[in-house]
Order: sequence, then structure tokens, then C-alpha cells
Amino acid sequence: MTGFVEGFSVLADSPMLAVGLTLAAFVVGQAVFVRLGKPVWLPAVLVSAVFLSLAIVALPLDYPVYRQGAAWLTALLGPATVALGIPLFQQIHHIRQMLWPILITLPVGAMLAVVYTLVIAWALGATPEVLASLAPKSVTAPIAIGITEELGGSISLMMGALLLTGVIATISVDMLAARLKVGDERILGFALGLNGHAIGTVRAFEISPTAGAFASLGMSLTGLFTALLLPLLFPF
Amino acid sequence: MEILRGFLILIGFFLAGELTRLGLGLPFSGGVLGMLGLVLFLMARGRASEGLAAASQSIISVLVLLIMPGVVGIFFNVQAFNGYWIAILSALILGTLLSVVSTLLLMQWAAGGDSGKVGQ
Repeated sequence: MTGFVEGFSVLADSPMLAVGLTLAAFVVGQAVFVRLGKPVWLPAVLVSAVFLSLAIVALPLDYPVYRQGAAWLTALLGPATVALGIPLFQQIHHIRQMLWPILITLPVGAMLAVVYTLVIAWALGATPEVLASLAPKSVTAPIAIGITEELGGSISLMMGALLLTGVIATISVDMLAARLKVGDERILGFALGLNGHAIGTVRAFEISPTAGAFASLGMSLTGLFTALLLPLLFPF
Repeated sequence: MEILRGFLILIGFFLAGELTRLGLGLPFSGGVLGMLGLVLFLMARGRASEGLAAASQSIISVLVLLIMPGVVGIFFNVQAFNGYWIAILSALILGTLLSVVSTLLLMQWAAGGDSGKVGQ
């Protein structure tokens, strides 16, 4: 029996255990998410993350050791960020349809998404580390990870902030669009992508392919804009 | 083999981005610089090759898997932010609500006059 315990700790030091656990949690989480009817308020990645953390707690495996093994996966985030350039390139012709509204809304909207949150958090006494983790909350995850590392925030807190922001942005666009008399699918899509990154974009594709295209555009432009501006402006 | 050529292009742009960041001491991640380089390259060239499109689609489809190790961290690092949860939650909920309203109204206003000229 002790042989197995020792054997396990050898395995824990090799990357394949961490990669296997992550993959298993991904598959199980995805299945549960579909079974639950793909609810907007519960992103698939959160379901998978719950299963993964249960597995890490249940096994004689410390989170830092897991994290080290999983570095084999997270190393791919770099090329994955580059890959986001292809959908951006494919959607960029949609800009012509709404050139001025996009050129006005993108910088102002992306800035406000950061400013509102930082001002409220700062007023309520948040530390610089917390502020740095909340700042990229509307940016799609692979790009946001790079921003947080640059600003000196916590990746874990940022990821939580990102998920909550995506859910709230999606729910509030759903609830407020009619009340604000906004019916144009392109505007709804762009607002979903700008504020709610990938989570909002998934919702936009449910509205219509046009809304989805504009959400995808809003998401990648916001990511690029924020990544280029925030590191220059953040220390104020 | 087309898809592997696509992956090679992605990794090439990533490495070029990292080298630019390190060489010039820029405060942007190598991934973002690589993405910017790739978009400019594709716009100059006019189209993305099949292999590149396939490689990007397949890596984007497993993005959730790549971010999971970071997401799981929330459950292991929550105590580090005790005392700040009210600030964090109010900032996220209220801030996101305000920015959604601002975005919708601003874009509606900006699109105002030309909503009838769509599709020309």
C-alpha cells in the first residue's frame, strides 16, 4: 500500500498526472454542463474547475505541484493568444458596416469597463494587487493572463473576476437591451463581446450569427486595445 | 501536415512577439504582440491559409482546457483576499452593469443617424 502512495508522489511530479486530471475534469465538466442545459449563469469552465479542484483536494496532491505539472498546458496559452488573430482577421470586414459606431464605442467602452470597476474597488479600499487583478476583467482569458502578469495581479483572482464579469455582462445585456430600446443585433453583439468576452460571445451566437460576428469582433478588439493601453496607463 | 504548418506559423509569431517584448522591454505579452503581428501580416497578404485557419480553430477550441489550471486557483487562493470581497464583488457587479449600459447607449447614439443606411 505504501508502495502506491510513494508511486503516486513520483507521478505527481511528472506532468502527465496534472494534464490527465485537467483533461478528465474538462470532459466531465462539459458533460455536466450540457446535462444542465448550458445555463448562462454557470460557465462550463467553472463546472470543470469545480471537479478539478475536488480531485486535487481528494488526492495527495498539492495545488502548487499540480500547477507545475499543468505548466505543459498553460505554455500553449502563448500560441493560443496569437491564434485569436485569425478570427479577428476573418471578422474585421464587418467593421466597415459600422465604422464610426465601432471606432467611438471601442476605446470609450473598453476604458469605461476598466475605470468603473477600478474606481469602485479603490473607493472601497482594495489594494493595488486586487486592482491589478480586476483591471482586465472584460478581456478574454488568454490575453488577460498576460495583462495581469504585466500589472502584478493575481491570476486566480483575475480568472474569478473574468467569469463573474462574463456572466453579469451577459445577463445585463439580456435584461436591459429592451428597456434601453436597443434592438440592433450588431450593437447587442458588440456590447456582449466588449463587456463579456468569450461568455458574452457564446450568448451572442445564440441570438444570431450577425450578433455573434460582432461579439467576436468586440471581444478581440477589446482584448487588443486593453492589452496595449492598460500597461501604459495603469500606474496612473 | 497542413495543420502542423499552421501551428508552426502560430509559434513563430509568438516567439517573434516574445523576442520583440524582451528586446525592446515592452510592457505587452509576447502573445498579444504576436497576435498583432499576425493580423497585420494577414491583412497585408489578404487571406489566411487553410492550415493556419485549421490550427487556430483547433487551439481555440481547447482554450478552456488551457485556462483551467488558472481558474482552479480561485478555490485554493480565496483566503488571500479575505477582507476585500465586498470591494471586489461590488466593483465587478456594479462596474459591469454600468459599462454595459454605457456601451449600449453610446453605440446606439453613434449608430443613430445611419441605421437606415445599413448594408450599402
